[in-house]
Amino acid sequence: MAGASVYSFYIFDRHTECIYTKRWTGPQSIPQKSTATNALSNGAVPVSVKRAMKAEDDAKLIFGTIFSLRRMARQLGGKDDQFLSYRTGEYKLHYFETPTELKLVMLTDTRVGNMRTVLYQIWATLYVEYVVKSPLAPTEHPRGVGVANELFEGGLEKFIDSIFTPAQ
Amino acid sequence: MATKAARIGEEVWKSRVDKINAEVVTLTYGTIVAQLCRDLTVPNTINKTDYNAVNKELDRMGYNMGLRLIEDFLAKTGTGQCSNFRETAEMISKVGFKVFINITPNVSNWSKDSDSFHLVFEENPLADFVELPDDGRAQDELWYSNILCGVIRGAMEMVQMQIEARFVSDVLRGDDTTEMRVTLIRIIEDEMPPDDE
Amino acid sequence: MAVPVASPSAEEKTPSYVAIPPAKPFQSTLRYSSNRKTIYDRNLNRTKTTEISLASFAYLFNTLITYHHSKSSSVSEIEHRLNRAGYPIGIKMLDLLLYRQPPRSATRPTRIVELLQFIHGTLWRALFSRSADALEKSTTKNNEYMIIDNEPLVNTYISIPKEMSQLNCAAFVGGIIEGMCDAAGFSTDAVSVHSAGEGDEMWPGKTIFLVRFKESVVEREEAIKASGG
Repeated sequence: MAGASVYSFYIFDRHTECIYTKRWTGPQSIPQKSTATNALSNGAVPVSVKRAMKAEDDAKLIFGTIFSLRRMARQLGGKDDQFLSYRTGEYKLHYFETPTELKLVMLTDTRVGNMRTVLYQIWATLYVEYVVKSPLAPTEHPRGVGVANELFEGGLEKFIDSIFTPAQ
Repeated sequence: MATKAARIGEEVWKSRVDKINAEVVTLTYGTIVAQLCRDLTVPNTINKTDYNAVNKELDRMGYNMGLRLIEDFLAKTGTGQCSNFRETAEMISKVGFKVFINITPNVSNWSKDSDSFHLVFEENPLADFVELPDDGRAQDELWYSNILCGVIRGAMEMVQMQIEARFVSDVLRGDDTTEMRVTLIRIIEDEMPPDDE
Repeated sequence: MAVPVASPSAEEKTPSYVAIPPAKPFQSTLRYSSNRKTIYDRNLNRTKTTEISLASFAYLFNTLITYHHSKSSSVSEIEHRLNRAGYPIGIKMLDLLLYRQPPRSATRPTRIVELLQFIHGTLWRALFSRSADALEKSTTKNNEYMIIDNEPLVNTYISIPKEMSQLNCAAFVGGIIEGMCDAAGFSTDAVSVHSAGEGDEMWPGKTIFLVRFKESVVEREEAIKASGG
């Protein structure tokens, strides 16, 4: 997907908590967030408290949105229906939910196609292998504790790089 | 339904599971139980094991394992939600047990309203090489493989089913079969996001 | 059956022996199931080639690590506890693996190097389905040997947080080695575990098991050699 870009990625657990956030920097950050061009990867100490609060608000906003959308999808399409993505003028939100109600969300630019398999693979080959099976990570992740370990971070970065050719 | 589950179980076991010698697992589990039997003693005694406490701790450990292992299970098998509890029972036995410990306990003894069944273990790799301590108590009090109850309870909770699982017999206790009773308590509703403002 | 320690011929001399009373016969209070599924009925080799998913092992090993982590105040204490957890497995594996040696060529390891080769080959293959990657002798200390595993199976899913970077959970395997050495009559001062993968692109998880035999074991070995044994 040359030239396409990824903006951010979130994981929410079954307790509706955001347990992982990653944002990508570069010229192609979400346009309306052009002020936040510094890396806020994996909830590391943010540059300013204000920006941190912004990130947290974003996560809440996104969760509220997917929560409503998935409910709507089920009401209209039957109890097994799931929404896959939605698009605005500025970005596209991709959604994947596991049977354990883990919710994976990715924001990309609008040209990006179906990312369901990508999200599935992040869950099945990275999250399950490196977070779920890691003995030193807690079983559940209140405030995201234990998700952003080295193997998971490294794996995610490599995987995303392999899909989105970095912009020249 | 049963044959479909069996087919998935066999297929995943054969092609998608990294394997290790079963005896390593048997012996590792043994060290865990032995450690608990040493650590959990009746208050004011030096080495009188509190077997009830050991059962509880094994169940708790299993619960934590179950919460994790279910993600792995779903990722490997690509299975979705079960349509009823009978299907769940088949998935536990023929896919879950098959994929993780290479056995398929029999599902039997369904209750009339289909909310409870028995898993009958012909084989139990956790208990190979095992004899309970000859102290006049272990055979009456310890459920050696109790971690399995916790595993099922944890795993089911993650797919929105609150269940109760407990052993009702064990060949290690001198019984003729090893059986676990699994009962569906309720379906867990989605958690709601906390209200802002 | 009671056998008097002294022989009847002792009557001729001053009786300087007394018969030891027969031990009370052992009475087990254990109940056994009637369908011949006890460990005494089943073939010891029954599970020799049985396999289980590596993930199940990982979850159990996780549980073991978490348990000992919660009771430890330092990295070295976790490693010590993991070592102690593995120790009895080593003792049992020695018996089991010797029992399983091919009947014609079965021998017990009676020399240090034989024992180490047994661990490096037979034990490793039984536990991890492959031999360890190397076996080396220290060039400076005559009681130190190294067994090297490029990628310990037990560490497959373990991501060590930075603040615990010293931890190597293969200490559990170190304990198994230690138990086996002791049970074979080759006592060690310790089997310590060292991560050696830093900067190694190929094998970042490379681990050295350093076996330090007791001086008495080395002395015995030298005495046997000196006497042409």
